[in-house]
Amino acid sequence: MNDKPLVTFDAKLPKLSDNERKVLDLLLEAGRLIVPIYEEQENYKFPGANFYPHGVLKSEIEKAAKENPEILSPYTVVEKIDNKLVATPYHKKYAKLLKPVVEKLLVAAEVTSNKNFAECLKVQAKALLDGSYDEATICWMSVKPYILDINIGPVERYDDKLFFVKTAYQAWVGVIDKKNSQKLNKYKDVILSTRRKVAMASEKFDYYGKVQTRIDNTLLFAGLIARTKFVGVNLPNDPKLMEKYGSEITLFKEMHKLRFETALWPTFNRIFSPEFKKQFSAIDLERGSLYLTALHELAHTYLRYRDSEKRLQDLFPVIDELAASVMGIKMCGSLLLKDIASTQQLESIMLAFITRAYNFVLNEEDKPERGQYVIGGAVLLNFLLESGAIKRAGGVSWPNFMKMFVSFDELMSILGRVLSRGKRSDAEALIKKYGSFTNLRSFN
Amino acid sequence: MVHKVYLTSQGLEEARVELSFLKTSKRAQVSDRIQRAREFGDVVENAEYDAALDEQTLVENRIIYLEDVLKNAKVIATDPNNDFVVIGSTVKVEMDGEVDILTIVGRVEANPAKKKISNESPLGSALLGAKKGEVVEVATPIVRYKCKILEIK
Repeated sequence: MNDKPLVTFDAKLPKLSDNERKVLDLLLEAGRLIVPIYEEQENYKFPGANFYPHGVLKSEIEKAAKENPEILSPYTVVEKIDNKLVATPYHKKYAKLLKPVVEKLLVAAEVTSNKNFAECLKVQAKALLDGSYDEATICWMSVKPYILDINIGPVERYDDKLFFVKTAYQAWVGVIDKKNSQKLNKYKDVILSTRRKVAMASEKFDYYGKVQTRIDNTLLFAGLIARTKFVGVNLPNDPKLMEKYGSEITLFKEMHKLRFETALWPTFNRIFSPEFKKQFSAIDLERGSLYLTALHELAHTYLRYRDSEKRLQDLFPVIDELAASVMGIKMCGSLLLKDIASTQQLESIMLAFITRAYNFVLNEEDKPERGQYVIGGAVLLNFLLESGAIKRAGGVSWPNFMKMFVSFDELMSILGRVLSRGKRSDAEALIKKYGSFTNLRSFN
Repeated sequence: MVHKVYLTSQGLEEARVELSFLKTSKRAQVSDRIQRAREFGDVVENAEYDAALDEQTLVENRIIYLEDVLKNAKVIATDPNNDFVVIGSTVKVEMDGEVDILTIVGRVEANPAKKKISNESPLGSALLGAKKGEVVEVATPIVRYKCKILEIK
């Protein structure tokens, strides 16, 4: 990859005070300084990126971790020194590069006139220096209502395709869209007030009442998130923290718009027939995609089991992310029956899901950072093809929405079983059966 | 054809109060806002004036809507029968693994945030007349679920 892991947006912002503008500039500078740290970690030639020494077997790492659990800590770099695997905490390994980030955050803490936000910035700076990331996450979730938003540090694990354990550095900076955040929160209350029966209830984390949502006018993505270009996140990732403190769902307006314009809309136009396409406008599909993102993140709330990451290991994100979207669509089906969503909305959401899956699969070689989503997309499309919910005729697909909804129901039963009590081998068997790309490339 | 609008007595009262507020207070407030915006200067390039006119349209449309609702209102019993589901019943249902408690109300009073669904919604219309323990089918052209009535209040 030659391009920098940095994306900036020219977002339309609400009115900010002079003080807020000054603080925002400092946060943007701090965010940019994450880029060189992430560049030290990323390496798409190896499934373990630069988190582990290259050429070392997975079994060798597992063996070393039995003696020293820090080897498989989310926040250490593993190196081979004197023929022995050694774990170095991130805050020590990248101390030199972290110093200017910390300085910017501390200056912003001095400048801001909001005491709570200043405290939060200090806690985030401290975490970068000493590894107290959980405290920083909890603090970040508790600062509200406030207009400026920064999340910075090692967070997501998608670059560790060996174990799905090691976190990569990233930062986002934005300004909260208060009006739309309130709307999303109301939507969240309606959805999460419904109790959903789950398999293995004793193993399920229950934090429905502690979920918060926000929509960001995004200004900057740096590090891993600039590569993955996520349109929504649900933090913290640690289920134990989630159970205790709840979770915070953030949707990124500008990134969603960018991804829609550059990826989804062109893919939609490429894969569907002209007769079918004209039934849906760009606005329908863009809204469908945004609803899907919100439903996906909310659906995660129903899918958190205590030990699913441990059981499914590196295949956990493939199953978990696919299940969240499928569950999100099922939840929308229920909203339709209560007149809270319309048929057109549900159709647009399903189309957005299929279009996303095609976009991943057809461009998979350009997206090594999104490998788990690409496999999930292939599983979805092959499942829908097998059930006849989507058909190919001369490279054009024509979806049958009713069959598709039934297929989502069936797929969710399978994914739910794997997530709640399955082993890695179950996830592997599902991927082996439905994860092939060969069948899908004829859409080209 | 006159379309009956089903309302609880509380819903009817709320509609009356809202209509009265819009006619006696809100109209005057919006009128003042328009007047103030005119004083800012040229109405052609005046965003506040445009916003005030938009608000006036919304208020007038809402007044027409509420007058129509009150004209065609049919008040439903406030003490619904617990033997089967009627408009006004609060029902505990299980559908697609979801357990939910919902109140069936007329379209005007539907409020998802308060768990009030319209009698005209696919679920609301399927539930009407059903008894405790009964399983009804709820269907739209896309979604088809079986729904079990666990409790009627």
